[in-house]
Amino acid sequence: MLQTNIRKSQHVFKQPGLTKRFMKQWDIQLMVIPALLFIFVFSYIPMYGVLMAFQDYSIFKGFMNSPWVGFKHFEMFFHAPEFWTVMRNTLVISLLKLGVGFPAPIILALMLNEINNRIFKRIVQTISYLPHFLSWVIVSGFVVSMLSTDNGSLNILLESLHLIKEPINFLSLPEYFWAILVTTGVWKEIGFASIVYLAAIAGINPHLYEAASIDGASKVRQIFSITIPSILPVIVVFSILAIGNLLNAGFEDILLLAGNPVLRDVSDVIDTYVYRVGIQNSRFSYATAAGLFKAVISVGLLAGANYLARRSGNSLW
Amino acid sequence: MKLSFGDKTFVTVNYLLLFLLGFTAFYPFWNAAVISFNAGTDTMLGGITFWPRVFSLDNYEVVFKDKRLIDGFVISVLRTVVGTVLSIAATAIFAYGMTKRNLIGKKFYMIFCVLTMYFSGGLIPSYLLIRELDLMNSFWVMVIPGIISVWNMIIFRTFFMGIPGGLEESAQIDGSSNWGILFRIIFPLSGPVIATLSLFTAVYHWNDWFSPSLYISNIDLLPIQTKLQQILNSNIMLEQMSQMDSAAQGRMSSMRAVTTKSLSMATMMVATVPILCVYPFVQKYFVKGVLIGSLKE
Amino acid sequence: MITFSKAFHAALSVSLVFVLVLAGCSSNKETNAGTTEGTNGSPNADTASFVLGEQPLEFSFYGHYDWYTMPPWGEDLSTKWIKDNKKVNVVPISSGGSAKQKLNTMIVSQELPDVIWMERDADVEKLRSEGLLVPFDDYLDKYPNLKRWAGEATLDMLRSPDGKLYQFPNWYTTQPNGNAGYLVNKKIYEELGSPSLETTDDLYAYLTQVKAKYPDVVPLEVGQSASGIDVLVSAFAENRPYTYNAMKAVPTGDQLGSIFTDAAFRESIQYASKLYREKLISQDSFTQKLEQVEQKVMTGKIAVFAASSPTEFGAKGNALLKADDPDAGYIMVWPVHKAGLDKNKIFPGDYKQLGWNVSVITKAAKDPEAVFAFLDWFTGPEGQRIIMWGPEGLYWEGTDAEEAPQFTEKFTSDIEGREALMAATVNFQWNGNTVYVDDSKMKFESTLPAEKRSWETYWQSEITWKTQYDTTEFVNLDPAGDTDEGIVAQSIFDIYEKARAKAIMNAASDEEVASILDKAEADAQKAGYEKLLKYKTTKWQENVSKLK
Repeated sequence: MLQTNIRKSQHVFKQPGLTKRFMKQWDIQLMVIPALLFIFVFSYIPMYGVLMAFQDYSIFKGFMNSPWVGFKHFEMFFHAPEFWTVMRNTLVISLLKLGVGFPAPIILALMLNEINNRIFKRIVQTISYLPHFLSWVIVSGFVVSMLSTDNGSLNILLESLHLIKEPINFLSLPEYFWAILVTTGVWKEIGFASIVYLAAIAGINPHLYEAASIDGASKVRQIFSITIPSILPVIVVFSILAIGNLLNAGFEDILLLAGNPVLRDVSDVIDTYVYRVGIQNSRFSYATAAGLFKAVISVGLLAGANYLARRSGNSLW
Repeated sequence: MKLSFGDKTFVTVNYLLLFLLGFTAFYPFWNAAVISFNAGTDTMLGGITFWPRVFSLDNYEVVFKDKRLIDGFVISVLRTVVGTVLSIAATAIFAYGMTKRNLIGKKFYMIFCVLTMYFSGGLIPSYLLIRELDLMNSFWVMVIPGIISVWNMIIFRTFFMGIPGGLEESAQIDGSSNWGILFRIIFPLSGPVIATLSLFTAVYHWNDWFSPSLYISNIDLLPIQTKLQQILNSNIMLEQMSQMDSAAQGRMSSMRAVTTKSLSMATMMVATVPILCVYPFVQKYFVKGVLIGSLKE
Repeated sequence: MITFSKAFHAALSVSLVFVLVLAGCSSNKETNAGTTEGTNGSPNADTASFVLGEQPLEFSFYGHYDWYTMPPWGEDLSTKWIKDNKKVNVVPISSGGSAKQKLNTMIVSQELPDVIWMERDADVEKLRSEGLLVPFDDYLDKYPNLKRWAGEATLDMLRSPDGKLYQFPNWYTTQPNGNAGYLVNKKIYEELGSPSLETTDDLYAYLTQVKAKYPDVVPLEVGQSASGIDVLVSAFAENRPYTYNAMKAVPTGDQLGSIFTDAAFRESIQYASKLYREKLISQDSFTQKLEQVEQKVMTGKIAVFAASSPTEFGAKGNALLKADDPDAGYIMVWPVHKAGLDKNKIFPGDYKQLGWNVSVITKAAKDPEAVFAFLDWFTGPEGQRIIMWGPEGLYWEGTDAEEAPQFTEKFTSDIEGREALMAATVNFQWNGNTVYVDDSKMKFESTLPAEKRSWETYWQSEITWKTQYDTTEFVNLDPAGDTDEGIVAQSIFDIYEKARAKAIMNAASDEEVASILDKAEADAQKAGYEKLLKYKTTKWQENVSKLK
């Protein structure tokens, strides 16, 4: 296999003029090749670890001496009774996170952009990114106490508004879980994620706005006709990456917010399942197989998203 | 300039929503701060919201007396500064190269990079590699493996591609080399994205507790976040406890009881506030029209 | 897409080459390491004993827990004394908050710490079977403390399948200890006329009364993950500690049977479900965090607290509530039982002779005998006195005939200083000697007038130590996680957790509870429960024959 590959690549290099062209742009290649070598060393060399998925890997035996088992772990994963529940939850939760969590920071950035009072703007900007720095352990503590049935502030509020007669046990009812998870996640990351869009907005030429307001365009109109089109490349690139991440529905947040086993049917996603069943039991091969499955699907999704984005001229490759 | 009725409603609603968001985002942080200034024994009673009930500096005294935490703090600062500077410089150069339309192998390079975001060999091969490279138990293990970030490269590249091509062309006609253009035109025009990605990278370096926990066994070299993680973990350890006999549970919980909630919050504050202070410095690059001068052609 | 797959192939094949190269290097290393270790691994029984304090001893210590941070050695009174007088230095290896990964990487790279302090579980056996641990058998007679205090039976139980001893136990014991039981809010109890709280019916009646009279009080607090409900199972059968729930197996005769069909378990869940429906249990039981439980206990917002270790919060809460109102505070009551059962055969908690966890010495240790000598000294009377109560002359001065410390006046007067010392040293209690420490404490407490006795020790001697069951024969029944039985065990665990929570929270009647548990039984059987129970039965019977 190696042989043929070398021959193929030689074949590519024999194209007329290629070597010459390559030499001519050596300065650009010099910007790129060291970084690629770096990636090769730190990402590709350790990649032989994916082979674990086809072994019964034991840390004592190592890669060389662990027995090969083919697709055994993949079959076990696909045939696990939880598989379809886990896949459904993963997709639903990530689509919800994508649908709400992806536009939210863009909207926040647009809203912040419309604030003229610089002090207010800076304060809100700084404050909105604070939750990113609270670990999930602490955030989940807040969420649990806020949603608690004994003295939880949300239940007290709803009761005082006479919207409910009895406290609702929010974190024990499956119907509320997805909403709680997504809201908390958006709240935690919205400020931090909006920073990159603010940076993009900062690069827009202000003359465009001046011209538009002379033409009598309303503020909302300006957002749609100037701001959004200007930051579109950033939005497109981020959405490609987000689609590639669809199988990462979350881990710590779910682990800490879905403490009640009653929620398992709606809360268990690939990562939490693999953690519980694979990693905690030292089943390295099983966990690796699940990870490899995820990676293959993710790259497929990414390639698809990239293909669609090509028309806008903002694709990754 | 007069605002129309529609614009006025828009502005008012906007202010209101942002105020609400600001409040909900602020409260948990404020509450954590308040608890860190409250006496540990009183915090157990709960019900502390906007202001300490029994004001006390004892928690901070304990934190600042702990030489290990202070060492960890210094390590964190060093790691963040060195790691961010190196990574931003290297990644930005890489990204600029990747913007070139005529770059030979461009597509291959990009796919080569993107794959690493999804395929990973896992912990053990990485660990063995780090060991072969002799980076174990060294400060550099926190810096070197993260120097090139594919994610940041993609963002840099997207922003660089948004810079009007005319500027580059005219510089080329003036005889500038590619490296010259990068340093004289691209970087000066990329204040916001450099600031943003520096912030992201700094935050990553500051918050990363996991890689030091694997690669560094020497307690004196651990950054403060790894130490904080262990303190916060004492809250989760109960999971494993339910399987134990009651006598053992009693022994285990007496070990945990040493750290009060107030003390963990004080540790968290010391471990978090410094990185929060970076953002305001970044914001000054977001002022509208920062680029006008140079963009007028 | 074509270029994509080409690129991928090329990358893969290149990395494969690297693998081979790397693997070649590392396997060489392994064999080298293996041979050198073989020579220094076996201790020579003829050599003279290692005397602590004559030569300096330094070893590395790794606590295999996410939450564990070893405090710096030599910075508190106790370890400073050890460092100065015994010339022992312990270098901590940090788990960095991810113990499992840390240990795995240390195993892979053959860079084990000298001592690992860990749970007594399948991982120990794995390390042992790979030949990474040092056996203690040659040292046992040279250094007498472990053998003397733990006893042959306990050491036999700790022995590995090869008949050798590799594990140094922590808080091993030959007498009952533990705190499981029921904490009762004294003020509410007395205001309601101190009704009888002996049977489960009494408890139910009492909780209903509390709910009617004190709307803002949780009648029965069951702690985080509703673990108090497991304590309740002890009320529904004699000699039935909650451990059988944790084991997911219940002994009948010489067989282990399904938890889901166990009558006591089913009855306890039906009882709990009724309490939950009638809001006599906190509705947050399955979601609340520990700190919320703590708050409720500290502020007296609970009437009864059932838990496997309620005394820690109980003692603190009692002191806080007493400070405001001398009539308030907490008491403990004799464990409740279902009418008709013998109340002296009700055991809400349990203990194992082997104690909590163990220290193992790895072959990485340069002088394993010296390390053992230290651990043995540490678990002996002198070591325990120093680490529990500080160096001589402060809180104790001299010892009595049984080597128990003679506590000084300061021991009772300087509570704050003593607690500070305790806080600094509690994380060094790696091989606690239960019998010695408990007896010393009790002996001293019994000389004090009633009002000066510590709340915790009082209830331990009155109730909890008398109501903890010996479950030593059930140690190490769990299969390793990556074996077939281990995979089944994980499924059973998931089924159990889900069924338990659903039955308590969602069932509207006893019949519904029964049907949820029946379904769980069916699911469990499908997942291979029978095989797991057989495995556990075999392990259990091995233990039983060892204990005889």
